[in-house]
Amino acid sequence: MTGSHFSIILLPTLGCNADCEYCFEKKANHHLSLDHLAVLIEKVMDFLARKHIDRLSIYWQGGEVMTLPPEWFEQAHSIIRRSAEARRKEVVHYLQSNMIGYSRKWNRVIREMFGNSVGSSMDFPNLHRKIKDGVPEEYERLWIRKVREARACGIKVSVIALPNDQTLQIGAERFYSYFVDELGITEFQVNTPFPGGSSNQVKDGYPLDAKRLGRFLLDLARVWMDRGFGKGVQVSPFDRLVEYFVDGRKNLLCIWRDNCVNDFVCIDPQGYVSQCDCWAASYPEFRFGNIFDRDSLFDLLGNSDARRRLAERPGVLVQREDCIECRYLGICHGGCPVRAYTMQGDLHRKDPYCPVYLTLFEGMERLAACRP
Amino acid sequence: MTDITCNIPVALIARFRERKMIVRAHDPLEIVENVRDEDLVDVSFVQLLSLNGKIDSLIGWGNAIPVELVVSDTCRDLPLLYRYAPLLAVHPVRVSVPLAPGFGKVAKLALSLNLAVKLEGGQPEASLLAEMHRMALLYLHQSTVSEPIEFFHSLFLAFYHRHPISLWTIQEEDPSLVRHITDTGEETMPGRLAGMGVPTDFSAFLQDMQRGPAGEEGECAGCEFRLQCQGYFKWPLREYRCAGVQELLRTLRGAAEELRTDIASFHAPGGGGQR
Repeated sequence: MTGSHFSIILLPTLGCNADCEYCFEKKANHHLSLDHLAVLIEKVMDFLARKHIDRLSIYWQGGEVMTLPPEWFEQAHSIIRRSAEARRKEVVHYLQSNMIGYSRKWNRVIREMFGNSVGSSMDFPNLHRKIKDGVPEEYERLWIRKVREARACGIKVSVIALPNDQTLQIGAERFYSYFVDELGITEFQVNTPFPGGSSNQVKDGYPLDAKRLGRFLLDLARVWMDRGFGKGVQVSPFDRLVEYFVDGRKNLLCIWRDNCVNDFVCIDPQGYVSQCDCWAASYPEFRFGNIFDRDSLFDLLGNSDARRRLAERPGVLVQREDCIECRYLGICHGGCPVRAYTMQGDLHRKDPYCPVYLTLFEGMERLAACRP
Repeated sequence: MTDITCNIPVALIARFRERKMIVRAHDPLEIVENVRDEDLVDVSFVQLLSLNGKIDSLIGWGNAIPVELVVSDTCRDLPLLYRYAPLLAVHPVRVSVPLAPGFGKVAKLALSLNLAVKLEGGQPEASLLAEMHRMALLYLHQSTVSEPIEFFHSLFLAFYHRHPISLWTIQEEDPSLVRHITDTGEETMPGRLAGMGVPTDFSAFLQDMQRGPAGEEGECAGCEFRLQCQGYFKWPLREYRCAGVQELLRTLRGAAEELRTDIASFHAPGGGGQR
């Protein structure tokens, strides 16, 4: 809620056609009806008006969004457009999908609603992303085929990748080549994995070793600087950190904003409002309330104890942790609350990937200073 | 309309309309409810004396009028700064913090939130001077700091441009320019001088300081910063020793001169300016 812009992570379904081992969500057969969407969006518009916010970004995620038919999204688009026009608000839609359910029948809605762009996910090597009862290799083959089909239709596909232990072994050069040279992906983001949701053997391996992960990320940043920087390849978070260290612009990942509570909420298909998709399905104790049970999203957020605890977190960290001493406080603020909670059981601790971030920030500051 | 700016309690705004104002209140809601759109042209900034109020009302109010957050307890108020970060989208925001233990943390957090900082107080003890020096180095040299810290910033610019300026002016404590209006409507001296009571001649104070400590034999007599200071650090206690403060001012002046030299050499024939 930064005055003029707000974001919603909207989960129209918690159904999914994949069975990824590190998924933090609790899958369920819940879908948002169009009638409920109309109610939901009116309450969101009321909220924007009350907060004097003009622009809304909606990040459509799941579950897996493409388990719903494209016609559902076409109607959703109309409902939201009508509501936004009546309130003189600007709405921009973003689509995050695993692409497994993609076919050409999605092209029209991707073009008209999502600016011909889709965010997807893949790792290298892919160890944990699978379709139900399948193996990672099968998933990867299918994903590559779908991505190539989409790109052949002019759709831009960006990728979020999670490193794993083998990623750190094979190194940054090979990782970069896989996405950029082999797949032709020109926009990808590397996230840090965390053990959200129910535990299993894969999640027990998190956090990844800080030293090795930090080294990998810096190596990857150097590879990108040498081969992709200024040549149309965007790799986050490196590109955003360079932008910050050169121009001072803080267009940072959500984990490094001063308080994510100010910027977005997540709403699931049953109407439960929480901070983000990482909390939505697996941590009901952190729900802020249900938008269908309340007249006002403004009041729902204002009266939520769970949200208050999240909002207090960065202020607690500057008193309790060593964040206030850190040179990079202004671009981290203690990192991600869900990473802190899922790895330490305490919301009011700093992100356990702190040493990784520190390595990255120091390295990126140096790289930004001597960029080509 | 005079050029004197009055720092007024919001409850008295009706009496001061069409004068230049700084409007202070404990609760943002009081500001929104009492300051009319047509008043804004005369409002230099609004001061929030407590950091506990709800800021939502200010988001849609005030046509980008600057907001100053007044920190009174550095420990208690430190975590509350986070609540005000969203205001930046619609208002310039400055944090004024007293030179008291913990002020460095408040200043650092404010800067990390892209909030400007003003340090309040004039006779820092040794431990606070060391922290001020650290803050000055942060302001001057840390690439991640993009907001001003006053009085460092204005003084640095004055050194750089070789413009005369007084710390009384920078700190908004020159009685000929700023007045404090008490909650009962009495016009008094500004800033830390407010407790002095009501003088018969507001402009006499600085003249007295120039004739007094700044003009007498003693530490001020040969001071290289007399022009900028004008006894600022000799009030309220004349016997305050200024060596630490002078060192701090030397650091600011040295950095300004270094920058002047660098820029001059850059633009000189054979430099890189036009190549």
